[in-house]
Amino acid sequence: MTTAETSDDRPGRGPDHEPDAERARRAELLAAAERQPLLDVADACLDGAEPPQAVLAPEVGALVLTVREPVEATRFQLADVLVTRSEVVHRGAQGWAMRMGEDRAGALAAAICDAECEADGPARSRVDTLCRATARRLARERRVEWEQLRPTIVEFEEMSE
Amino acid sequence: MGYAAAKGGFDAIRSAEELVRRHRLEARSSWLEIDQIIERLGYAVDRVMGEGALWDPESSAIAFRQAEGDVVEAAHLVRAYRSTLPRLGYAELVDADEIDVLRRIVPAFREPPGPQLLGRTPDYTGRLLERSPEDESRRQAALAAAEAGDAAAAALADDGRATDGSPTDADTAGSGLEPARVPGRLMDVLRSMDLLVDRRRDDDPAAADISRVPARPGAPRSARLSAMARAETGALVQLWYRNILGPDRNIHEVTLGEVRHGRLPVRAEHPHLGRPVTVGHVRVTEVEAIEDLDGNDEDRSRFDVGYGLCLGHNEKKAIAMANLDIALHRDLALGDDAGPLEQSVLMTTDGLDASGFLEHLKLPHYVTFRSMVERKRAMAPAPVEPEATATEAKAVGASSEVPVG
Repeated sequence: MTTAETSDDRPGRGPDHEPDAERARRAELLAAAERQPLLDVADACLDGAEPPQAVLAPEVGALVLTVREPVEATRFQLADVLVTRSEVVHRGAQGWAMRMGEDRAGALAAAICDAECEADGPARSRVDTLCRATARRLARERRVEWEQLRPTIVEFEEMSE
Repeated sequence: MGYAAAKGGFDAIRSAEELVRRHRLEARSSWLEIDQIIERLGYAVDRVMGEGALWDPESSAIAFRQAEGDVVEAAHLVRAYRSTLPRLGYAELVDADEIDVLRRIVPAFREPPGPQLLGRTPDYTGRLLERSPEDESRRQAALAAAEAGDAAAAALADDGRATDGSPTDADTAGSGLEPARVPGRLMDVLRSMDLLVDRRRDDDPAAADISRVPARPGAPRSARLSAMARAETGALVQLWYRNILGPDRNIHEVTLGEVRHGRLPVRAEHPHLGRPVTVGHVRVTEVEAIEDLDGNDEDRSRFDVGYGLCLGHNEKKAIAMANLDIALHRDLALGDDAGPLEQSVLMTTDGLDASGFLEHLKLPHYVTFRSMVERKRAMAPAPVEPEATATEAKAVGASSEVPVG
């Protein structure tokens, strides 16, 4: 029995049922969701709702990526990462999102989806479904990638004299 | 002789820019799409991101196309774009031990912790130009695309089944990684054998920010690592090679420990949760270079390690960086003063700095050169024939107006 089968079917609902964990997992999956399905679900979230208020209009900018290296265990700045973030109030709840790259529409859509779930809006199930599909795609891509990489592991043979 | 300021050339410059633009748009071949560049010219895209110091494959591909394949020029465009971006903040500090490998080899040790995973590499393949007929290549590409399309359709159908209310274990994807994908380090093996100088620090100094304060000799190691991570690949390789075989000879030929290509997570703090969430990943290349210490004041019973890490898949750069890191550490440990190697690394390996300085030579230097001509003439030996001097002076004075660029 998998972890997910012991809980309800919402993404992030594992043994750690705390709402924060669920919302964090949702933010990660909305960040990774494919763009067009995400925009479609955000449109569904807006059906019958007041237009969302932008707390933070979609903003493109840089995050500084700092890495701890293993020789001295010290930090250094590797580079910047281009991201887009957005924050809205929708159905009275705040939604926040950040996506990689320059993707204003995607970040806004993800923030609306997040708020829809926080407000327990009528399209919440669609957001959950999108998140589950995204999780499944990521797992599949990772599995396929490893299936392609595994044959490149070197198996040494001892040479007899 | 005097100078007259002049201006002009704007129409010519505009026409030259128009030629560039038109060639980009009007080439007889089909338009080069961004996804084509990202997928099929990945090493170039990775180099542009690394040297541009910005992870964003799309911007890098656009820059590469705009620069018509000139990597240094593309990195310049990315740096310029990056300089316009607001800094939204700092990603959560990520440990290099978290690299999720796509390739990992350990040349120094046959059986390190974790696999020797060759991954996708042409390292062991003869460099033979593939001059197969284009039609055949296209046929094979179409076949591969069709197979990939079928697999994707099947996967989508599978995803659809999974979204009908029946959860699967895929819902927990990302909660754990296979041990083989995050292998242990050879460095830790050497530490356990007491064969490694332990340079780990407890004080955790802040990382230098070379985007805001340029790195200059005397800079901390974090500045040197940042500078090399965004240095021009060829410059780092050349500096390494010059020090191995050239006149400088500051570097030993090291043995490589880890050579990795993989992904690091990018985590940002969720403002409503106060905890980090993973918003994506960057690909990096990482190298450990093991140095055989042999100096009079060094611990000859142990090894030391240099470190290289850069964006994308760029093993040449990461290897040169790791080698230079340990060479700099040893060089600086010998004395208090910054050595020429540190100056070379910090001051001469940035592609934008170097190419910018070089390219400026093409700008008009009419006044500068005219002044040099005058100095040459002033220093010339006094003429023997007075008549000849007068003739020459008349010739020089004939063109006293100099255009200024």
